[in-house]
Amino acid sequence: MNYAVLTVPDFALHALRRSDPSLAGRAFALVSGEGRKARVSEASAEARGVAPGLAATLAMSRCPGITLRQRDPGAEVEAHRLLIAAAFTLAPRVESTGPGCCTADLRGADPVRTEALMRLRAAELAASGLPPRIGAGATPLLAAYAARCAEPVLVVSDPAGFLAPLPLFFAAPTAEQEAILKGWGITTLGGLTALPKAEVGRRMGSEGALLWERAAGESTRVLRLVEPARSFAAEWGYDPPVESTEPLLFKMRRFAERIALELRGSGFVAEKLSLTLLLEDETDHRREFRLPEPGADVEGWLRVLGGHLATVRTEARVAGVRLVAAPARPPQKQEGLFDTGLRDPASFWENLARVAAIVGDDRVGTPVPLDTHRPDAFLMDRPAESVEPPRGAPAHPPYGPTLRRFRPTWPVSVTCEAGAPARLEGGRLGGRVSAALGPWRSEGEWWKPGAWALETWHVELAGGGVYQIARSEGSWRVEGMLD
Amino acid sequence: MSGSPQTVSALRSLLSARFPEKSRKPCGGVPVSVGPVDDALGGGLPAGRLTELVSPGASGGGQTVIARLLAATQAARQRMALVDGSDGFAPGAVPAEMLRHLVWVRCRAPGEAFAAADILVRDGNYAVVVLDLRGCAERVLRRTPASTWYRLQRAAEASSVAVLVQTESLLVPAVPWRLILGGALSLADADAPREDVAGRLAVRTERSPVSATEEVAI
Repeated sequence: MNYAVLTVPDFALHALRRSDPSLAGRAFALVSGEGRKARVSEASAEARGVAPGLAATLAMSRCPGITLRQRDPGAEVEAHRLLIAAAFTLAPRVESTGPGCCTADLRGADPVRTEALMRLRAAELAASGLPPRIGAGATPLLAAYAARCAEPVLVVSDPAGFLAPLPLFFAAPTAEQEAILKGWGITTLGGLTALPKAEVGRRMGSEGALLWERAAGESTRVLRLVEPARSFAAEWGYDPPVESTEPLLFKMRRFAERIALELRGSGFVAEKLSLTLLLEDETDHRREFRLPEPGADVEGWLRVLGGHLATVRTEARVAGVRLVAAPARPPQKQEGLFDTGLRDPASFWENLARVAAIVGDDRVGTPVPLDTHRPDAFLMDRPAESVEPPRGAPAHPPYGPTLRRFRPTWPVSVTCEAGAPARLEGGRLGGRVSAALGPWRSEGEWWKPGAWALETWHVELAGGGVYQIARSEGSWRVEGMLD
Repeated sequence: MSGSPQTVSALRSLLSARFPEKSRKPCGGVPVSVGPVDDALGGGLPAGRLTELVSPGASGGGQTVIARLLAATQAARQRMALVDGSDGFAPGAVPAEMLRHLVWVRCRAPGEAFAAADILVRDGNYAVVVLDLRGCAERVLRRTPASTWYRLQRAAEASSVAVLVQTESLLVPAVPWRLILGGALSLADADAPREDVAGRLAVRTERSPVSATEEVAI
């Protein structure tokens, strides 16, 4: 699985319900439009007989006692931020795909751990009033299909088997395409992909070929990444102002849940909380709490905040609240007296795996030169967990400028005078040699296939630049620049 | 802008008093052990900031700066990541004992380098991340959206890691520190200890937070 999509069905409905305690467990629906033109856009499960598109008046007659509300953009923004924060705990590369939907780039992540994490996040989001569906697959599109079918998490490991029974509308065909395919007797994605792509493209044009790719879940795209949260704060208002702690604590829990997820997604914990009550008379009451143990535990935060609120008496009603968490790195490992360990080992290894997924397993690690004189011989080793102190001065202290290698080496033709290079000519480098040092001759592994022999020179060009060139089997190469 | 320097200074004080978390400055730095570079930076690579080191000519000394940085970070027992945009680092050119704290990422294209740097800068386990873009196709680098750089800057600020970006021409927009390696090393330097070679590098400060502040004040 390379990508995960987190989506919340009936997003606007859930966003409003989680921000208003009076809607808990009640039949309610969102309406769009005013007066007689008002129509239901989303309805809660408790609103029996009410479906999207129904006129508001009809909804009230079918479900007496139903509460009809307009969408709340503020609640939707907050709920979307919570969803994004949850995605950042899965991967550092996250796209805000749309309202109530985001896509995470999971490449390099441990699949077993990530699936467990997705199930945990799904449960947490549901408990926070935002029940998500999380799908994972090889492409963003496949992950999106999986999210639509997830209950609540679905990882697609067999794309062909998963896609085959899905109805055709998953691939978003146009009405014309749907009619054509229906005429062919095709109603599922599997039915479409059973046809050769080239033949579909020939009969239905390039749009048909694109539809085939969508049906096969092959369409991929570059994610438009969003920044993880940098400030861990929330501010909200009350209209009308409140004078008891219950509504304060209800909303505080919602915002604290989001802040805690944002902290976790960024690899932080909170060491201090700052609470400001904005009062109706335009004064404020501010208090800072240093947490007994830095963490991102919402229950612990609410115990501290609730304990304080129970003792607060203000001159005016509370019109708004501001909550700010001061981030700190989690003290996950105690450092020994003489070792410098990793601050966050889990993050270190997971991030290395992510980088390896981008560049390849053999292209990330700690280089270890091999015990040979063969040039550029090294292996990539697993990085050490601790940084050892220097063991005195190196046995062979480095001299001169440092070599910067050209991989692959550049072919060059060299004119020699008096046995030394005098002129270089090549596609990428050329000119008169103003000074040369060498030769250094080396050979090795002559006793087995792959024997090598080199004659190495350091040359300074009249136009500037010092280069390392080497002759092997009669041909010259530029190995690098002394820089 | 018609504001006087005093007005700007007062405004800055007011903002830092009202929004302390926004104006928090990363503390500390990572010495490079290259005298001219450390002098130009006021002690070392600033933590939580990007520093651009431009090597416009051949043999300007950029690789020697990396080698010295490896020695300095190992002496301080700090971890270092090298995101090598064109796979030019030569492990054999540095004593083996100075490589044990290095995580080297060998990239094939600038896109890989940016993606890897984005992850490593956020990691929190590194003191320094070097993003070496020398040798990468300039036309590709020029197409890098500014948002990529801002994203990297924000990530560096959040994790307080020092980020050194090595380039062949001015590339990073709005970078706080930009140094230019002006001279060229020669074969005459071959017999000198690397420490001395590093001490002879010609470094010019093209941009610094101080100069940026002065520009605002003017």
